[in-house]
Amino acid sequence: MKKYILTRAIKVVFTVWFVWSLIFLLTRFSGDPVEWIFADMDTTEAMINTLKESLGLDLPLWQQYVNSLTGLFKGDAGMSYFFSRPVTELFAERIGATVSLGAGALGLAVLIGVPMGILAAMKRGTAYDRACIGITVIGHTVPNFVLGILLIFLFALKLRMLPSGSTGTWKHYIMPMVTLAMGPLTAIARLTRTALLDVIGQDYLDCARAKGVDEKKVIFKHALRNALIPVVTVMAGQVNMLVGGAVIVENVFAWPGLGTLIIKGAQRRDFLVVQYGILMIVIFVSIVNFAVDLSYGSLDPRIRDSRDKN
Amino acid sequence: MNTKKRKKKEIKIRTGIPPSILFLMITFVLIVGISFLAPILFPTDLGATNLRARLLAPSFLDPSSPYLLGTDSVGRDLTVRVLYATRMTVKIAFTGMLFALTFGTIMGVLAGMCGGKVDLFITFLADTFQAVPNMFIGIFCACFFGSGEWMITIVIAVTGWYHYTKLIRSQILQLKESKYIECSRAMGASGLRIVVEHILPNMASLLIVRATMSLSSYILLESTLSYLGLGIQPPLTSLGVLISEGRDYMTNQWWLAIIPSIIMCFLILQVSLVGDWVRDMLDPKLKNRG
Repeated sequence: MKKYILTRAIKVVFTVWFVWSLIFLLTRFSGDPVEWIFADMDTTEAMINTLKESLGLDLPLWQQYVNSLTGLFKGDAGMSYFFSRPVTELFAERIGATVSLGAGALGLAVLIGVPMGILAAMKRGTAYDRACIGITVIGHTVPNFVLGILLIFLFALKLRMLPSGSTGTWKHYIMPMVTLAMGPLTAIARLTRTALLDVIGQDYLDCARAKGVDEKKVIFKHALRNALIPVVTVMAGQVNMLVGGAVIVENVFAWPGLGTLIIKGAQRRDFLVVQYGILMIVIFVSIVNFAVDLSYGSLDPRIRDSRDKN
Repeated sequence: MNTKKRKKKEIKIRTGIPPSILFLMITFVLIVGISFLAPILFPTDLGATNLRARLLAPSFLDPSSPYLLGTDSVGRDLTVRVLYATRMTVKIAFTGMLFALTFGTIMGVLAGMCGGKVDLFITFLADTFQAVPNMFIGIFCACFFGSGEWMITIVIAVTGWYHYTKLIRSQILQLKESKYIECSRAMGASGLRIVVEHILPNMASLLIVRATMSLSSYILLESTLSYLGLGIQPPLTSLGVLISEGRDYMTNQWWLAIIPSIIMCFLILQVSLVGDWVRDMLDPKLKNRG
């Protein structure tokens, strides 16, 4: 098991380093940042040279690469060109808003999605089951920015019940959280349903019932635990989707988080913000996937055993 | 009720397609067909404005209005714009799919047939790309390489290829062991010949299913990037551009954002349900999964 964790951890570090190098090289080959910054201005040779020097762009490529890599370990990501402030400071200011939104949405998706799927599987073929399937189809058909716009139209503009954007009270959380949770929620519900249905017909459940175990206990203790493994796998994928979705939802609801910062950064070509924003997200997603991978072992002893043997 | 059911069954027997799927397919072909003919049917300059006719109501709300779906903030006919937008969105999704499919297939064949270091590297590359959420590849490319029709097509290819690669690689590893491949090799067939004659035809149906099912996510990616202003740039238009333009007029001219939204949701619904059906048809084992 230890060996397995170690190899996986090394792979995560290697992936992050590879992505970072790719980002670094692509940004350097895509053009001269100095030209973008001075795009609409009259410039002199001296101005360009000073800027290049202050950004460290006059150094040879390998030295720039080493500098940015060491900067990464010191927590120094350079200055944002638009705000003239350290990138790390900008991220630190906004990360709280994004994390609270994402965590809320994921919690909502799991708390509603899993019971919804269990009920649909237990009441297979009924009207409730069909309603659940209908909702899941809507969930993956309506893109989250469209859902956000529809919610704003209905609850903010027509009914005037909820604020249309920004943060403040708990009311501000409702619409962005629901919008962001919709996709993962329906995916989790659908998967819980199919995974449970796969397990439900198996002999060992009949055996448990024959022993006289209560039906609820059969579902929750015997069936659900086996059905949960694919659900956890999908949840890892959902975190991936959630991160992408958060960027869009933040934009729709003018949420002052990382997503809006990165999108605005891309529109203004504030490239250090984009570069490090993406790097941070890759690190986050890799760590989540790593954690999910490890959690299989505690969910399924068979996987733990097979890893021990290798 | 009974006759209705019988009629449904009759359609299914005659065509082999359930009526609901048939409906979705026909409407998809209609929407795509009309929108692709738009430049011939309604030749227009997408940048041309008519300020006297700005923000007119659609004719289903105001019968005196000559515009079927109303006009936008600079007086352009929304019907024509929706057609051009659909055309752009579908065109990009299909071209992107072809690129992703071609590149993914080549990489998958290389990984599966060469093995060793090549395989390790390609698998690593696929895993790496999978670790980056698609949206961010789009944002990155838009920021550093500019945005536009071709950029989104490339973004779709970059975010989509590894699905096909992984699929093909695992299939090749399985098929490689089978008797008839071994037989073909014993008769002196080269690696390329085995791939083209035996492996690819065997996997065509799998690839088609995967591609159809991914098409909805490509439509979504294009629209989202365009909505965020990182995709198609005005005066050109796509469904995402229309929705983002209409957003500012939600209070009074709600149809400007809602109509393109409905069309986009309908497109995604058609593509994904038809994709599910194709999958079930070609591989009944997968029915009721995922």
